[in-house]
Amino acid sequence: MLDLKLEDIDGILVRYNVALEKEMTPDEAAEELYPKDELIYPVAKAIYEGEEDDVVEALQAAIDAGKKPIDLIDDALMVGMGVVTQLYDEGIIFLPNVMMSADAMLAGIEFCKTQTNEVPEPRGKVVCHVAEGDVHDIGKNIVVALLRANGYDVVDLGRDVPVDEVIDAVTKEKPIMLTGTALMTTTMYAFKEVNDKLLEKGIKVPFACGGGAVNQDFVSQYELGVYGEEAADAPKIADAIIAGTVDIPALREEFHKH
Amino acid sequence: MVKKYTSMAYASADELLFGESKFPVKVGLGLEIGAGYTTPEVNYAPRPQAGKSKEKLIKEYERITTDIMERMIQIGAPSVVLETEHVEQMSNNPEWGAAVAHAQKTIMEEYHDEYGIKCALRHTIGDIRQDREYLQLRGGDKYNVFMEAFELCAQNGADLLSVESMGGKEIFDYSILRNDTAGILFGIGVLGSMDMEMIWKDISDIAKKTGTVSAGDTDCAQANTAMFIAGGLLDKNLAHTTAIVARAISAARSLCAYEAGAVGPGKDCGYENSIVKPIAGVPISQEGKTSTCAHSDLMGNLIMQCCDLWSNESVEFHGEFGGTTVQCWSESLAYDCSMMNVALKTGKAKDLRDVLVLSDKFRDPQGYVLAYDNAYRVGQAIVKDGENNYLRAKNAAIECCNIVEEGINSGKLRLTRFETNALAKVKADLEALTDDADQFMSDNLTKFKQEVPVFKPENYGL
Repeated sequence: MLDLKLEDIDGILVRYNVALEKEMTPDEAAEELYPKDELIYPVAKAIYEGEEDDVVEALQAAIDAGKKPIDLIDDALMVGMGVVTQLYDEGIIFLPNVMMSADAMLAGIEFCKTQTNEVPEPRGKVVCHVAEGDVHDIGKNIVVALLRANGYDVVDLGRDVPVDEVIDAVTKEKPIMLTGTALMTTTMYAFKEVNDKLLEKGIKVPFACGGGAVNQDFVSQYELGVYGEEAADAPKIADAIIAGTVDIPALREEFHKH
Repeated sequence: MVKKYTSMAYASADELLFGESKFPVKVGLGLEIGAGYTTPEVNYAPRPQAGKSKEKLIKEYERITTDIMERMIQIGAPSVVLETEHVEQMSNNPEWGAAVAHAQKTIMEEYHDEYGIKCALRHTIGDIRQDREYLQLRGGDKYNVFMEAFELCAQNGADLLSVESMGGKEIFDYSILRNDTAGILFGIGVLGSMDMEMIWKDISDIAKKTGTVSAGDTDCAQANTAMFIAGGLLDKNLAHTTAIVARAISAARSLCAYEAGAVGPGKDCGYENSIVKPIAGVPISQEGKTSTCAHSDLMGNLIMQCCDLWSNESVEFHGEFGGTTVQCWSESLAYDCSMMNVALKTGKAKDLRDVLVLSDKFRDPQGYVLAYDNAYRVGQAIVKDGENNYLRAKNAAIECCNIVEEGINSGKLRLTRFETNALAKVKADLEALTDDADQFMSDNLTKFKQEVPVFKPENYGL
């Protein structure tokens, strides 16, 4: 077969990611971000490494040394997860690392809850669902994991969720944000119905939508819609809402990229 | 028992070419696929509001079909395949899908009768075998409706029967997001293969009964999910080296359709078809630069290398400056096919094939492994243990790792440290696995029953 000489390849394509790769390894970058407290450090490191057993062991050691379980959620688990999400946002680690860290963090939170009667205070509640008629839920699962990793209390309605069930959940849970994902053009039409029924009830919650065939033009067609191009946009939109940007046009201004 | 492939249909990689297959398929209205020429395969999605009623949906597909056929005549294309990927309403209500097939075929017959254009209609049934919580892959009402959808579409105008089946997806989805190599292999290579063997025997029986063609599957639900999560060069969601290992495994899985009676052409989004074709000799559909309307794939030229149908994956039906989307994309596909057909007629096909391959081969590890010379090697690794679904999938994965390593060592395939490390991890994971399929099954059943709440072994007869 025909072949290219090594020196000819650069004129045909450029591996920009190779050229841009940071010198520092992910482990080195994480090491720089861990808290220095000797009881918190092992929790944060175990979160970064996604090792559930190590997280629980480090939490137990911190509790034995006098730390309050409820405080460890914010001061150790969330701090460790903060290291992970920062490294992910900076392009130093990849999504599977975040997913494994999120699993480890949730295991840590559950462990802390068993050690205390106090109830942890989440940053805010988000309702997540996959559009009615659509069973493709890997995107929603990533959104849920990233939101939880960022300290949000997620009500996960699952996939193929009837419109009325979404409305009932929003009415009951009063979330700061609703998310909807869909793969197909025909199922994403359910988002518009969700939007209309929420407005009928006078509920003006930001409705972050994304996935497969969903695009910014479509989401812009209904009043509550905010388009998220990537799963990682979900916690960022939630952060903006918590920070006071609840107006839909303002959220669109910030997150609509096209 | 199905007959498994233990040897290659092609004696060498260099024999592989677009528009030519070892076992061409005669189908539809005067068409023969893989018989010395390529044909555009146009795929489309109805506008969101079209799914509101059966009547609206039929009308939408009538418009789509007329637009495509009209444009093909206007530009003088000699042949075309239309692919209708069912929206869920069409498979959950088989009479909807049948009515759409009938409406489309009626229009196609009119154009064939008037102009002689060679054409065929593929219907890709939605894999509806699931409820909100769980897959429901075998037995029961879901399976019956699923099969009824194939049969009614076949009776009402569909020529080619396909599906993007979901077997193993619950394990794969969990595993791919956790870098769990054994889980990826278990989901695609073992569970996916088991499900494929079951459904493709039944689909092939329907094709025989109805005089239609049992065409083939794609591992869209798994290998394409990996490719899409991996994304572009700067995306940070999944190592592209991991994604291509999932793809190599998927070839062993998608091959099961042909072992169970399918004859091709395999589905367009099955990028693993470049590995399947040299093994099974069946014609294949592929998509690349002309499917950028649906997704990006980093191998838009390369993947045209040995296609028999050339597709656009899917595009929402709406207006563009140059006509409706289906008109614009069908025209682009037809020009590509015209170019390939000229190359075949002028004895320049191998040169064109190699130019297409080299324009993408070193862009990404995914294209590198799917380049026909390397794809052939993955095929050889599969047939080496062709009788054993687990071992052949594992072989494919290991050979894929070897090929990428060789590319890196040649200096031509430049990868980030992250991708190289991910490759090393996957390879070490694979080499640590047992060669005993029963042991692998037992270990992973135990593990995933604990870790994945939606995993129900009975979906696989386990």
